[in-house]
Amino acid sequence: MNNVIECKNLTHYYGKKKVFENLNFQVSKGSILGLLGKNGTGKTTTINILNGFLQPRSGECLIFGENTQHLSPQTKSRIGFLIEGHIQYSFMNIRQIERFYSGFYPNWKPAPFWELMSKLDVPHTQKISTMSCGQRSQVALGLILAQDPDLLILDDFSMGLDPGYRRLFIDYLREYAKAENKTVFTTSHIVQDMERLIDDLLIIDCKGVLAQTSVTQFMDSFNRFDFELENDKADMKNASFVVNLDKMKNKVELYTYSSESIVKKYLDDNNIKASNFAQVKMVLEDAFIGLTGKY
Amino acid sequence: MMWKLVVYKEWLKIRWFLVGYTLLGILGVGYLLLTVKHDFAFSGGKNIWNSILFLGNQFFSPLKYVSLAGGLIIAIAQYFPETVNKRIKLSFHLPLGENKVLLMMHTFGAVSLLLSFVIIFGLFSGFCLIYFPVQMVIYSLITILPWVLAGFSAYFLGALIILEPHWMFRFYYSLVGGFFLTIFFVPAVTSAYSPANSGLFVLTAILSIALLFSAYRFRKGEM
Repeated sequence: MNNVIECKNLTHYYGKKKVFENLNFQVSKGSILGLLGKNGTGKTTTINILNGFLQPRSGECLIFGENTQHLSPQTKSRIGFLIEGHIQYSFMNIRQIERFYSGFYPNWKPAPFWELMSKLDVPHTQKISTMSCGQRSQVALGLILAQDPDLLILDDFSMGLDPGYRRLFIDYLREYAKAENKTVFTTSHIVQDMERLIDDLLIIDCKGVLAQTSVTQFMDSFNRFDFELENDKADMKNASFVVNLDKMKNKVELYTYSSESIVKKYLDDNNIKASNFAQVKMVLEDAFIGLTGKY
Repeated sequence: MMWKLVVYKEWLKIRWFLVGYTLLGILGVGYLLLTVKHDFAFSGGKNIWNSILFLGNQFFSPLKYVSLAGGLIIAIAQYFPETVNKRIKLSFHLPLGENKVLLMMHTFGAVSLLLSFVIIFGLFSGFCLIYFPVQMVIYSLITILPWVLAGFSAYFLGALIILEPHWMFRFYYSLVGGFFLTIFFVPAVTSAYSPANSGLFVLTAILSIALLFSAYRFRKGEM
């Protein structure tokens, strides 16, 4: 079985508000996949369905071949789950929480947990409730790594973290996942962080999947062209190759999977005069905004 | 041995509340017995007997809401932390069945409450035997039993209400639960509740699994 996660025809509504309809995606073994989408497109909803905390209106998700609505204890032990905000049992201290979780998981490896804890300048008797968000993130990450799961599901791991802790989290996680051939499914509202972490991306909006591919392939195939129109009333929105077009007066940012030559040919064929035509190099965040739009 | 770990977690949550409540209960029993001793000394044994046997005075009535308070305190101490930031997800994600985890937590809470009640009311019975005959202590305990059952019912209802994901349902449950609990406190002469105690026990036992419904609603994604 190559797919660790498989979601088929997933549809969910909150009341009458559609979150997504017929969402299909897979996550293959060993990949680090980032789920990207604007606010309200269903990232946390998807995570909740994956963890069995939400029943979709229709469709299903399978993890290791099991329906996520009825995960067996054995399968749950293979999944490390990070709740949005690095939530843990805040009434426990570092020593207590390690003691608590270690008994549940047969493959428990305390070394990564204590290694991360040694980076925190806090005594082992300090309660988690008195820690900063960054410190709590290290506790939560340490626990997941010690659990040694085959699949890690991380809901908005960046939330509340300063740049230093974000970097620490990402670097530690990526190195671990790659070294141990773990599968990671993650969301983050900071796309910059994703670029450093993920191999594959899944971009969704309310219409469904906008892109599911490797980051490299996406960045190689998705282009941004900037140019200035002589006639700012020229309309290009209906051109088949346009994925997104942002126009301010006569300045155009055009996002497309097509090549420069196709765009230029379209301009020529439609007698649209443009100057200062240039392909702009993008980072993942630019491409994400280009694909999903600013609004 | 996973149940030991669940017990460990629950103990960390409720230990100070449980110890504090039990100590307060013991102090309450001590105060009650000092009052009885005082009355014996100043009013005389005959008058005390007269007021208990013929005037229906229940010298133990200050204990009426002690167990109710205990049930609510333990329910809040145990389940409120689980609802902050939906932390109950962590428990549901443990490699155990979701209902199994909850029932382990719940059993621990109920047993803790039971131990606390045994200490408080055991002490009460012991002290009472110094001043009153066995038969009177037994009648007192029969009268107290519905109040103790109310403590357990309050704990079970508290868990149901706290874990319920929707505030409107919480409100309805609180309303219905509040009315339900009044059944246990209908004023009656000593030992009059005796025929009803088995029925109240069954109702309390049924309530003990009510929290599974709130947990089911949470897992369905009700908000």
